[in-house]
Amino acid sequence: MLGFLRPAPGNELQDLKALSLFSDLSVRDLKIVQGVLHEREYLAGEVIFDEGEEGNALYIVRTGRVLICRQGRPENPIAEIGAGGFFGELALLDTAPRSAQARALEPCKLAAFFGSDFLSLLETETKLSSRILFQFARHLGRRLRGTVL
Amino acid sequence: MSAADGAAPVDAHRSGPGPVAWAGIFAATCLLLVALNHILWLVVPALLALVLSYALYPPMRRLMYAGLSRQGAAALVTSVFLIALMAATLALLAWAGARAEDWQAGVERYIRGGAMLLERTLAVLEARWSVLARANLAASVTTWLNDYSNTFVERQVQPLAVSIIAWLPAMLLGPFFAFFFLRDGRRFHGFIARAVPNAYFEKTLDLLHQMHQTGRSYFAGLMKLTVLDTVALGLGLWVLGLPGAWLLALVAAVLAWVPYVGSIAGCLLVVLVAATDFPQDPKMAYWAIMLFIFVRLLDDFVFLPATVGKSLKLHPLVSVLMLFVGGAVAGVPGLALVLPLLGVAMVVGAALSAILIDRRLRARHLYALRLRAEQAAADLT
Repeated sequence: MLGFLRPAPGNELQDLKALSLFSDLSVRDLKIVQGVLHEREYLAGEVIFDEGEEGNALYIVRTGRVLICRQGRPENPIAEIGAGGFFGELALLDTAPRSAQARALEPCKLAAFFGSDFLSLLETETKLSSRILFQFARHLGRRLRGTVL
Repeated sequence: MSAADGAAPVDAHRSGPGPVAWAGIFAATCLLLVALNHILWLVVPALLALVLSYALYPPMRRLMYAGLSRQGAAALVTSVFLIALMAATLALLAWAGARAEDWQAGVERYIRGGAMLLERTLAVLEARWSVLARANLAASVTTWLNDYSNTFVERQVQPLAVSIIAWLPAMLLGPFFAFFFLRDGRRFHGFIARAVPNAYFEKTLDLLHQMHQTGRSYFAGLMKLTVLDTVALGLGLWVLGLPGAWLLALVAAVLAWVPYVGSIAGCLLVVLVAATDFPQDPKMAYWAIMLFIFVRLLDDFVFLPATVGKSLKLHPLVSVLMLFVGGAVAGVPGLALVLPLLGVAMVVGAALSAILIDRRLRARHLYALRLRAEQAAADLT
């Protein structure tokens, strides 16, 4: 009701809020998530992670495009992720090996969200992390429906 | 969007370090012990701050959950701790100051009580074994003990008091460091991460996380061990009927933080109290010794593997061997520091060996360097 009193999120926070995973978060929650993200810059062609590598982090694409493909076969892409998208999200749940390779298609800025940081958020910020978990479950549900159909 | 993860095995395989890496881990632990032994004035407050930050983190977490900022929560919990510490210190000083004479008389009384127990035991032994009687063991030990106890206060208590005063400023650094560990721990983490090349980034951050977890579980294990030791020993002493059983048990459990030396000091303390408070009943001191040995065995074979050993995932043989090495390299501080240092060296060694021998990561890093060099020289051709 008094939503107009809440501070408006800055550009980076607005980008985060645009992600389905963080769409339910308040400005305060977004600031907390922003605090645990690690910003990285990759050049076109640089490998972000390899297939079979232990997955520790989810990556959010801030700018640029990322190619997801089988190891060493960029000519047959599985997916292309643009600004505002994310990939490698199962690393939030466990450290299972990555099932595909991720490469920067063009110079890009990514933000890494580590599974260990998410686990500590689960301890310290129960409401915040339950909102992320809920969105995560919805995201997985959509993926599952897409696979079945 | 999520094709990078999928129907992969649930648990990633992690192979342990090889023999060369293990040799490196042991060598690094010994070198660290030697180095840290020279800056103990800084290491001890830093360790204290680390333990304090682990202890203060749960209330800080609650405050953050209630809506306080990280900085505000860190400042509040550290301030409350400092105020409580100052109040406790003042109360203790007032209480101890009023009983200073009793304390001095008490120390001398307990030393005399211990000496009497030893004399009596040696006399019984001499009466049974003529070899000991001919060696005049009781008389020579009594003479040495009398000399020792007459000069005990000058030789032991005064240097102890002076060293406590000398260490006090360094110890005050503990809460100061703890505040910054609590407030800036995450920022420091990010600062380290920024210095790591992209290819090694994920593994290095995972390594930092594991180091943090190892440290936290070690000190949490140590706290649990102290509680278990206090309960086991306190219960035994209470059943025996020793006065101040729980306080004695707590002091002995805290002394046991320093392996071997601390345990012996704790045992001596309990035996001195038993021998002095029950001068006509030497059996009480013998029972106290037996109880202490029983609790030590319980501690080494049940409590320690279930708390500290479990947290570090160390083989018992390696733990014991490293304790000897720690004692030989850096004395009493070495005994206390060797296991946590080994734990950290193990995590770093395992991760570094995994990162350094990973040719793919190295190739990715070299490729990224080449891309950056090409980008930098793009308009120079």
